[in-house]
Amino acid sequence: MADNKLVAEVRTNFGKGAARKFRAAGKTPAVIYGHGSDPRHITLPAHEIALVLRHKNALIDLDIAGTPQLVLVKSATKDVVTQVIEHVDLMEIKKGERVHVEVPVHVIGESLSGTTIDLEHKTLKLEVDATAIPEYVEAIFNKEGAGFHLLAKDIKIPAGATLDLAPDELVASVVITAAGKNEEPVAVAAEAAPEAAKASDAKAE
Amino acid sequence: MLIPRKVKHRKQHHPKRSGAASGGTAVSFGEWGIQALTPAYVTNRQIEAARIAMTRHIKRGGKVWINIFPDRPLTKKPAETRMGSGKGSPEWWIANIKPGRVLFEVSGVTEALAKEALTRAIHKLPLKARIIKRSEGDA
Repeated sequence: MADNKLVAEVRTNFGKGAARKFRAAGKTPAVIYGHGSDPRHITLPAHEIALVLRHKNALIDLDIAGTPQLVLVKSATKDVVTQVIEHVDLMEIKKGERVHVEVPVHVIGESLSGTTIDLEHKTLKLEVDATAIPEYVEAIFNKEGAGFHLLAKDIKIPAGATLDLAPDELVASVVITAAGKNEEPVAVAAEAAPEAAKASDAKAE
Repeated sequence: MLIPRKVKHRKQHHPKRSGAASGGTAVSFGEWGIQALTPAYVTNRQIEAARIAMTRHIKRGGKVWINIFPDRPLTKKPAETRMGSGKGSPEWWIANIKPGRVLFEVSGVTEALAKEALTRAIHKLPLKARIIKRSEGDA
């Protein structure tokens, strides 16, 4: 995962009035906490943090008034209609520390025609080194038919990471679509047709 | 057509239309979704019309989710009736939609097909809406 470097400013004004002024000035209010230390209130450049937050579990190398600090994005609050990021929660991280994160599952490949892949888990919980969080894990499909189940133990996770999920937990399955249900009798009929033809030929003979 | 199986009160007050949606604002099940941008009362007929428009366009492939349910009755007095003599009779079943709410979701189809199907569904709804993708980031 690429390191993101941002310059943060210490925030001394609080409340919705001050927060709105920061947002109008192109800054996003944020808070840093973790490791038992007191929370620190900062502001981040709005555009840059918006780009960083496009990726899950972004690791940011912050420069807070000249002091470097490694942080992990814990959560972000966004206006659902305007899509403006209102506030960001950041967690202090030390190099070599292991963290519990949710990593998105990407479907690679496709299932058979008339079926669709149903993801039961859109994300997987992993315990992983904070500096080596994968951007996503792959659920690989190779033209499997309906009824195929992909379990948590079948997902390939990066070395050093541990899955926080039962190995037999269903991650994705192949299900038949409404169109596929209609296709099935046709396929069966097509298979049955040569047999019927053979039977009629035998009768004719 | 979606309709509650049983209700505690047959006639209710009109639901509030102010404010934004507090939940159900993200695409949770599928890959693409319709997000409301204005408040509206969406009837069970409109939900069904949107669902049919969508599923017919994707030729019943993929998977469709309906995230809203019309659980509020609206009443209407008959035409040319004098005021008074009680509340009118239940006429519609509606879902009270507020800005930000995700109404429908779809998965298992290509991006172009999903967008076209969801656009056709939006045309059946009494509100302004946009198509959104499932977010993988933290915001």
